[in-house]
Order: sequence, then C-alpha cells, then structure tokens
Amino acid sequence: MFVSIVDFGSQWTHRIHRTLTYLDVESKIIPVSTPFSEIRKSDALIISGGALRIGIGGAEQTGSTKEYLEKFEGPILGICAGQQFIGLHFGGKAQPAAGPEYGKVELIIDDKDELFAGLPDKFTVWASHNDEVVGTPGFSILAHSKACSNHAFKSNLRPIYGCLFHPEVEHSEHGSEIYANFLRIAKR
Amino acid sequence: MPFDADKFIEKSVSAMRATVGAGKAIIGVSGGADSSVAAVLSARALGKNILCVFVDTGLMRQDEAAKVKASLSKCGVELKVVDAGEEFFSALAGLSEPEEKRKAIGERFIRVFEREAKSFGAKYLVQGTIAPDWIESGSGLRATIKSHHNVGGLPKKMGMEVVEPLHELYKDEVRHVGAALKLPVEVYNRQPFPGPGLAVRIIGEVTSERAEIVRAACAIAEEEMETAAKGGKMALPWQYFAVLLPVKTVGVLGDARAYGHTIAVRAVESMDGMTAKACAVPPEVLERISDRITRELKEHVNRVVYDVTSKPPGTIEWE
Repeated sequence: MFVSIVDFGSQWTHRIHRTLTYLDVESKIIPVSTPFSEIRKSDALIISGGALRIGIGGAEQTGSTKEYLEKFEGPILGICAGQQFIGLHFGGKAQPAAGPEYGKVELIIDDKDELFAGLPDKFTVWASHNDEVVGTPGFSILAHSKACSNHAFKSNLRPIYGCLFHPEVEHSEHGSEIYANFLRIAKR
Repeated sequence: MPFDADKFIEKSVSAMRATVGAGKAIIGVSGGADSSVAAVLSARALGKNILCVFVDTGLMRQDEAAKVKASLSKCGVELKVVDAGEEFFSALAGLSEPEEKRKAIGERFIRVFEREAKSFGAKYLVQGTIAPDWIESGSGLRATIKSHHNVGGLPKKMGMEVVEPLHELYKDEVRHVGAALKLPVEVYNRQPFPGPGLAVRIIGEVTSERAEIVRAACAIAEEEMETAAKGGKMALPWQYFAVLLPVKTVGVLGDARAYGHTIAVRAVESMDGMTAKACAVPPEVLERISDRITRELKEHVNRVVYDVTSKPPGTIEWE
C-alpha cells in the first residue's frame, strides 16, 4: 500500500504522513508540480489543506492537481483546501465560509457508511478554515457542524472524499480511524 | 506502526557518521529536549569529534546555564558555555516586529557558532531541529507562521553545513528517543522552551530590563504550576509560561496609584505542538500566580491575565 500526499502547504501535511506511518502505510509528500506519471501507481491519493484561498484565486496555484482528479482512478481524499478544490473542480462553489472555524468543532455525522464507519454520531474535531465549498453536483454530504453545512462529502460516482476539518491532528477525536476507513476503501 | 525509537537511533547514528565522516562538528545545545537528545546522539555517532556549545543569550530561563551543564554532564555530554548576552541585546535593540527579532537572533546564533566551529575545526553544525520548526518556518506553498531561529532565521550566508538528525520527528517522538538513550527523565520530559528564548515572550522591544521582568514572571508561573501538579491539584501542562505585554494599565498599590506592565500567563496541553488547548488551571493556582507576580515584581507589574486561546487560532508562544 502506497499513498501520495499532495502538498497544498498545510501546517499539518506532515501530520497526515505521520498518521499513515502509524497505520503502517507508506506515503510520500509530493509538491503540486509532480507530473501525473509519477503518482499514477499510488494506491490512493490524499490532498492536504493549505493557506490557499481556493475560491478566490488559490486554485490557480495547485499545479497538476486538476489532472490528478481527472486521471487518477483510485480513491482520493481531500482535506480542508484539498476538499474545497475537489468541490470546485466538480462544479461546486468555493467561497468564504459563513462561519469560519478555528480550533474545536463539534462534528455531526450524517452518513456512517464509509468514512465514518464505526464512529459515534457526534464527536470533537479541529478545524482551521476561512472558506468552505457548497453545492457540488453529484456529491453527498457526510458530516456538518453548527456553523458549516459541508464538513465532509463524497462523490456518488467515484471513490472521492473530502473533509473540511483535519482528522490528522492530535486534538481531532477518531482522526486515525477516519484515515483507516479511507485506507480500507483503498484496499478494496 | 508506532514510532520505533531504537531503530531510529541506529539509523540516525549511522547517517550522521556517513555525513560527517572523519570530520568534526559542533552542536548548539539549549538544554531543551530536542537539542539535548541531538547532542547525545551526536556524541554517540561522532565521539570526540563533536563540540557541544551552549550559548547564553541573556534570554534564557533562570539559572539555565548552570542547570543545563549539570544535567547534560549526567548524560556524558560536556558543554562549552559561551556568554553572548551583550551581543544578542545589541542585535535586538530597536526591533519590535516578531519576524525581525527572530531573524536577528537566528543570525547571532550562527555568528557565535561560526566562531566556535572555526576554533574547533568543524565544518558541520548539528541542530536539534524538529518537524514543527521547518513546518512553521514555511517554504513554497507553506505559509511562514514564524521563522524558527534554526530554519527560517538562518542567515543566507554561513560557513557550515547543517545536519539535522531529528528533522522528521515531533516532540513526543523526541522524548521516546530520549528515553531510549537513557537520558534523565527531567531532560527529555522538560517542557519546550523557544529557541529565541525569552525574546518571544517580550512583546515589543527586547531590553535586558524587560528580560529580567519576564524571566522572574516565568519562574513564578512555572514554580506555582509545578507545585500544584505535584500536589495533585492539576495535571502538569505540556507548556506553561508568562509573557510580558507592551500594555500599561492603572492599578492601586497600598492606596497609591500604580501604572505598570501586564503579564499574560499561558498554559496549554498538547502532544506535538501542532495543535494545543488552553489548560483549565484551577482558579486558586492562577490567583496565587497573580499574587506572587504583582508582589514580587511590584515595581513593574500590576496586572496579570490568563490566555484561554487554542492553537489554532493562536500559536503557543505569542510571537
């Protein structure tokens, strides 16, 4: 099992790498300039968060990520700015959040089928976002918070997922289980 | 698989030998867990070819040089203490912007290390840099949150090659390495202390007078929380300290008007420093800290506040 982590420049990109290492999964952090041919053989792709404002110009700094989303056939998980980029790419609107959240957030799960399998209905996660993505056609909402209607979503057609919160940080409850659930999907 | 400290030690000792070869290296040791662990690793890898240097910047904790020298000699590491306080204070004069302060400090450290390396004949500088240091220093798409003195604060031109054995680790993993190296527990479990020292706990310009105030306030906050933790009143926070604010407020001392500085107390729980939560310190402990700071530093401080911010949005240190 090998995962490529596309680096949008998050403070926590390396935490994703650490979370996967602790789950016994090999991974590599790659810059957005990496040609698709170099990541094609990965078993899964994770797109990190970052300070990029996806809805207001930041999407232009994401290099080859658009091509990854079009050509990569395995499972993809976007985190924060990574999720927003996925939503924008598939026709949603990335925009300044009605309720930005920094630090502790109560996450309410709407769909426990895959990413949140075996987890409670509500738990604490940590977020750090100015923006959000809404109205992505062909995607279903998996979780929300009081301030934000789309904290996690998935494509109805392809194994593509996104979380606005950060399951890779220590203060997010069940974070490593969320990654384990995603990796289980990748193993199928 | 969780972190394997023994395997890490084996790999990093041989990597360091491969890099430095028969050459010599110096290492900057602050007495914190990271640089202490890096020093013991370096000593294991390089034997007599490593010189461990403690730079007294004048911005260290109370009695730090003596304490660190004693605790590291228990690990078989002999420290050379370089007194560079005047040099640091004059480099910091007139600076109040946090990034300018950090960069001035980073450069000063390197100039001191260059002098030491030259007289020891070393080409390599070993640093206890860990993951959050380079992450927060930024690069490419990654925003600069703060330039750590050992990464973003390094001057462009320097006459040594940098070696960073702990580059991929977080604090909790460094502590596992410290334990596996059989360092004294008080060395590897010590709370983090910022590389630029008290300079980032003095908001605004750094002067030796302001350093004295925040040093004394930090010592009180540390002592009271450690006592409370020992007495079972609270868990010992991951990091706990005081910050001197550039805010003067009105008070009343002995029926007379006072107009003095403000100290902020911060205590957080964390594992890796990348996220943190303010601790629920019992009110009586905070009260005791406030009483002691305003009495023992009555010439300077007449107000104490407690910082309740998480990281994010705050960072642990204020600058």
